[in-house]
Amino acid sequence: MKKQLPYLLLMPGSILLIVFLILPLIKVLFPTIYEGTFTVKNYREFFQDAYFMKILIRTLKIAVLCTVISMFLGVPTAYFISRCNKKKRGLLLALTIFPLLTNSVIRSFAWINILGRNGIVNTLLMNAGIIEKPLTLLYTEFSILVGSIYLFLPLMIITVAGTMENIENDLMEAAESLGASRLSAFIKIVLPMSIPGIIVGNILVFTGTLTAYTTPQLLGGNSNLVLATFIYQRAMSLGDWTGAGVVAAVMIAATMVVLRIFNALAAKIDERGEKYA
Amino acid sequence: MEFLTLNKIDVTYDKKKTVLKGLNLEVKEGELVSLLGPSGCGKTTTLRVIAGFIEPSGGEFILDGRNYTKVPVHKRNFGIVFQSYALFPHLNVYDNVAFGLKLQKLKKAEIKRKVEDMLEICGLSEFADRFPGQMSGGQRQRVALARAMVIQPKLLLLDEPLSNLDAKLRINMRVEIKRLQKKFGITMIFVTHDQEECFSISDKVAVMNNGLIEQYDTPENIYLKPKTEFVARFIGFNNFIPLKKQSGGIFITERKELIQVEQETKLEEGLGTIRPDDILLADETVSENVMNATVGVRTFLGRSYQYEVDSTAGKLVVNAPIGKVYEPGDRVRVQLPKNKIIIVRKSM
Ligand SMILES: Nc1ncnc2c1ncn2[C@@H]1O[C@H](COP(=O)(O)OP(=O)(O)OP(=O)(O)O)[C@@H](O)[C@H]1O
Ligand SMILES: [Mg+2]
Repeated sequence: MKKQLPYLLLMPGSILLIVFLILPLIKVLFPTIYEGTFTVKNYREFFQDAYFMKILIRTLKIAVLCTVISMFLGVPTAYFISRCNKKKRGLLLALTIFPLLTNSVIRSFAWINILGRNGIVNTLLMNAGIIEKPLTLLYTEFSILVGSIYLFLPLMIITVAGTMENIENDLMEAAESLGASRLSAFIKIVLPMSIPGIIVGNILVFTGTLTAYTTPQLLGGNSNLVLATFIYQRAMSLGDWTGAGVVAAVMIAATMVVLRIFNALAAKIDERGEKYA
Repeated sequence: MEFLTLNKIDVTYDKKKTVLKGLNLEVKEGELVSLLGPSGCGKTTTLRVIAGFIEPSGGEFILDGRNYTKVPVHKRNFGIVFQSYALFPHLNVYDNVAFGLKLQKLKKAEIKRKVEDMLEICGLSEFADRFPGQMSGGQRQRVALARAMVIQPKLLLLDEPLSNLDAKLRINMRVEIKRLQKKFGITMIFVTHDQEECFSISDKVAVMNNGLIEQYDTPENIYLKPKTEFVARFIGFNNFIPLKKQSGGIFITERKELIQVEQETKLEEGLGTIRPDDILLADETVSENVMNATVGVRTFLGRSYQYEVDSTAGKLVVNAPIGKVYEPGDRVRVQLPKNKIIIVRKSM
């Protein structure tokens, strides 16, 4: 009886997952490989389609750029926050999370105001006499990237800051006493010890950007489709559920591959060989 | 010429909490000096001022003729052993020890030679590839020592380095530290609040109280000739009798009893102190420094009984051999041998 208890406790969660996640997933994905007999025809067609490949590459490009930029902006910020005293740290973390508290539609609208033809950026640049005609900033890959970074940077910061907070100040002081300047102590101690957090942050940002729908929809427009908006268009506008299923499968596969890459990277960087994700 | 001088160091935390008040300390080259004192008296703070983690609000720190008060930590080349050891968890023992040498941009072969020598000396050769997480407390402690010493520091600072070890290992490690100190002739400042540890290892002891050094002396002198009530209490004196100097070696109690004291002192007024072991329960024949007393509480200590007695000079604690047992209420005579009484300055 005792041994069965853990399984019993797992039941409600498992049932929920199976009924609401696994089954629908199978229902969406199964038709993409089975049309009377098993086939990869749907996939072959899609990968030979230049339009689809362009969307796939655009999506990956935005996700990679967003992840890398968020990392370069987020890690130093997280370090700064983690070295503050408790009171200040709480305040800064709250400020970091603040954008996450508003709806992503509203956040994207803010960027429409900033990047639009008559938006803040163009108005400022024109008034300053730097440009004569307004720049096309909105409805480009650039605007999707900016919106995504804005959306996901806080995730990077809070995950990395969480890891960095746990690095004892003693270690920094020990490094300094052995002749390391603040910067080299950061590079040699803090950075390698924060790898777990940085990897988790990267995974969150990457998968988040790869699968985001609202931001690319509102800031990318119809000429800059990404996988998520493409799925929606296939399924809802064209009623092509099989096509949508194929795109979904590709998206899932891409996510898995990236997770594997990050894991391999982590194992390589940290000789102790712990798994992070 | 002193090697290390702390001159009137003031430290204030958060702009209002004064922790060190004009602290002075002088250390000769190659000496091992301990900072001893109760929790919160400012030992760690003093050590952190020397290390450079805290910039004092007043005073200066001179080492080997150079003013170090404002030199940044990473330019000081002092070895520090932290209470938590502070080993880098992502580096193995070899790389932990090599950390400081790599920053000095030495040749790879030279780093290897120095690290291997140091690991050998510390008995760590077989652990070179281990990570700190895979080692025992004593082994980590040795890695921390090796890492701090391999850079040939001008000064080695240790903050309660042994407090996380069990009693037996502690004794081994302190012998080890002393051996390394003699071998390399490193000047060391050692923080502890363990008396025995401190006395056994140090050339000199600075007993601290409330941000001040109460007495700075050899372990023998601290133990045998405490100068203040605080130091005396800290090292186990617990009988204090207010005395005034009458003449020569004669002092007078508040009840006008005369007490002879052998020790010479400049103090006109102070506290006569004596260890419980040194007070005798006297018979009729003795007359020097004898007082009538009534026995109070009795405690069995194993080798002796401890009595609290109410004497004409106040309450006293006496350790007496177990041969004869006294009951509460018994009237006895206690003798304070004149060569065992020490006159100390009253502490606030
Ligand atoms: N960062 C700090 N901010 C404010 N007060 C501090 C700080 N560090 C220490 N103090 C205070 O300064 C005083 C001296 O502290 P310190 O750490 O030097 O004591 P210590 O002698 O090392 O004690 P222990 O034996 O407990 O380690 C204490 O009252 C402590 O509360
Ligand atoms: Mg301390």
